[in-house]
Amino acid sequence: MENNQKKITVSVWRGGEDGNFENFQVPFVEDQTILDLLTHVQRTIDNSLSYRFACRVGMCGSCAMRVNGKPRWTCRTLVSTVVQNDELKLEPLSNLPVVKDLVVDMEPFFEKWQEAKGRFEPSDSPVTEFVPIKPDDKQRQKADEAIECINCGCCYAACDVVESNPAYLGPAALNRAWSLINDAKDFANPERLKAVSGDGGCQNCHTNSQCVARCPLQLNPTRSIAGLKKAVSLATLKGEI
Amino acid sequence: MNIEQKETDVLILGSGGAGLFAALHAYKGNPDLKITVAVKGLLGKCGCTRMVQGGYNVALNQGDSVERHFMDTINGGYWIPNQELAWRLVETAPKRVLELENEVGCFFDRVEDGSLHGKAFAGQTFDRTIHKGDLTGIEIINRLAEQVWAKPIDRLEDHRAIEIIPSEDGKRISGILMLNIRTGKPLFVKAKAVMLGTGGGPTMYRYHTPSGEKSCDGLAMALRAGLNLRDMEMVQFHPTGLLAGEGTRLTGTVLEEGLRGAGGHLLNGKGKRFMHDYDERGERATRDVVSRSIYREMCKGHTTESGGVHISMGHLGPDNVRQKFKGMVSRCKDVGADLAGGLVEVVPTAHYMMGGVEVSVDCETALPGLFCAGEDAGGVHGGNRLGGNGVANSTVYGGIAGDVMAEWVGREGSFANPDQSAIDAALNFIETPFRAEAADLTDLRYRLLDKMWDDAGIIRTEEGLERAYTDVIALREELMQTGIGNTTKEYNQTWHDWLNLHSQISVSLAIIKSAQTRKNSRGAHFRDDYPEKGDLDTSTYVRVWQEGDDVAVTEIPVEFTRVKPGQTLIPEEIEQKTGASL
Repeated sequence: MENNQKKITVSVWRGGEDGNFENFQVPFVEDQTILDLLTHVQRTIDNSLSYRFACRVGMCGSCAMRVNGKPRWTCRTLVSTVVQNDELKLEPLSNLPVVKDLVVDMEPFFEKWQEAKGRFEPSDSPVTEFVPIKPDDKQRQKADEAIECINCGCCYAACDVVESNPAYLGPAALNRAWSLINDAKDFANPERLKAVSGDGGCQNCHTNSQCVARCPLQLNPTRSIAGLKKAVSLATLKGEI
Repeated sequence: MNIEQKETDVLILGSGGAGLFAALHAYKGNPDLKITVAVKGLLGKCGCTRMVQGGYNVALNQGDSVERHFMDTINGGYWIPNQELAWRLVETAPKRVLELENEVGCFFDRVEDGSLHGKAFAGQTFDRTIHKGDLTGIEIINRLAEQVWAKPIDRLEDHRAIEIIPSEDGKRISGILMLNIRTGKPLFVKAKAVMLGTGGGPTMYRYHTPSGEKSCDGLAMALRAGLNLRDMEMVQFHPTGLLAGEGTRLTGTVLEEGLRGAGGHLLNGKGKRFMHDYDERGERATRDVVSRSIYREMCKGHTTESGGVHISMGHLGPDNVRQKFKGMVSRCKDVGADLAGGLVEVVPTAHYMMGGVEVSVDCETALPGLFCAGEDAGGVHGGNRLGGNGVANSTVYGGIAGDVMAEWVGREGSFANPDQSAIDAALNFIETPFRAEAADLTDLRYRLLDKMWDDAGIIRTEEGLERAYTDVIALREELMQTGIGNTTKEYNQTWHDWLNLHSQISVSLAIIKSAQTRKNSRGAHFRDDYPEKGDLDTSTYVRVWQEGDDVAVTEIPVEFTRVKPGQTLIPEEIEQKTGASL
């Protein structure tokens, strides 16, 4: 029961790009997530607090924000695992415009997803059968390794290259491009390789691997980007791009 | 009009499987149309299709047939489905899955020879549920959203639909009054055609599975627009929702069906297995049976500490469980529970609404220019939805709505001036929480959720339903007197919590009245005072609509347009029955 009385201090970003931190005292509840804690603040302390969420179980990637400086999903992050000295600091994701409080505008993130041709390109002629692809197909396995991204933006917010070079497409978009390059059904190459090899392309990655460290799904965008770099070199040598 | 306005040929509300497919098909049907998708959160990120774990029912393999899929759907729906809607679903599903694979870019799990893997799902006579691991919805929605982003389709994200606005003469739709969540300012979107695809989501129950932003807004708007809904008493409960207390939003989220399928045990508060007391199939009985049985144990007081029952997997080997159900084990760990080796508290949780707006096979509603698809539409599933038919429904009918709207706009579409009085009334209504004196909205919400759970939930009686109706009407009156204080309108979630509650209350009343009307027990609807399923040959469905502040109901005979109870359309079974083997 002692835990129920314990309070922690949560420092929350308020306002837009310009703003300030506001402190809230909230009860520490065992097994509560950051999302639950924010819900508590909104419902019982300050009902104007803004934070984004939807699915509440780690499937939609709507709720990411910086927790003690690091991007995390709030719905699956237990307060007990991140609280330090009874304090927590919550801020909107880096590298994206702030809408209000903890809510960011993800538009630039999704624009870059498209710039990297992060979408399936079907064949010009309709394919009327399912393409037989065996479960142990090597190329498909590479595609699958990168496919489960739910575009939450944690890697994008953690990436120092995005921070220093706003043109950089970022780990998530490039990771998606890599999964598509390994998709036997896709017909976008060599255009996609061109798209990921320009000024904001894969060559910018300096393998700092913050994206890997921060991906809540343990995906490896750095590996995907390394794959892209090789594919781009090869295509350049062959004169394809 | 002194609010912002926008014009679009086609306006789609919602970005689940129905909304995104509608946008792509409307664009394909006529690329010159201006198409807009409006969504309460971010495109593709909110909505329920994304949450689909299980898979997609489709008759693809030899030995299966659309007739068999159809019969499973009709039997599963206890002969209440609109057979034309169910037929179009099963008939179109194979085409839609092919489109998902080869045009949208989804990849579904394969078997050794490279063809699609169909898994077994409850209530089906063939293993026809295709899937992508247990994250089928994410694969479908991510790929669809990428296609929509790539096309010249407008997006209104963080926009909430407030009201369906008819034309001045009331003969057709004029557009949708919306609220820009970020700025807190209203916006009127004038459109030639509108598709309602906001999804159902029975979030008015104490325990529920859908996303946090779901609040039945589409159905509430449809009721206010005078449209007929059907099958609203049919609310599907999933037997195993995570029970982790009121303090966490993880409570109510689904622990997948596969746990019971793999041999998981359900134990009551005394540590005793109880499912065999209710059904010879034990834990592997269908969703409705298991949900009711757990609820009975709860009513008897045989509960765990938090008021549910336990699921126990440890006897299957903790390492094995960890490997097979990685996601579920990790989700339980977040609330301090050990699914692999220990006990996890679970409770039945409201999952899906079979009911919705009455529509034609072309997704038309009674209001010209307004179309409807996905969970907002009723009639496909009847009394119960088969697992795997939900995502089939939203993607099949979303695509159809897109095709139909593109063609309809070319043929009959024109902009109509809005009924200004309807806009004014809605604008006045949404200001209510800023005028009323501040009070405890969270407490009111919990009282609604408890009321629906206790009196209009898994097991119903006349007495309970009557009480529920009176009490929910009173909650509506109380809500209208409940303010949120003098606070900002920009991205104000508390304002939206208030508006959500209003929608949930409207739809709750439709559920209660429909449940009172159905005096038998079928599928998801169970009356302790009328436990028999009744005569199938004279099956009816319940129609409900709003009349002033009240809801009205009537029963309509089901038309058996393709098959009558006792008959089948499955060729090999017809042969057996008639003995005709020549």
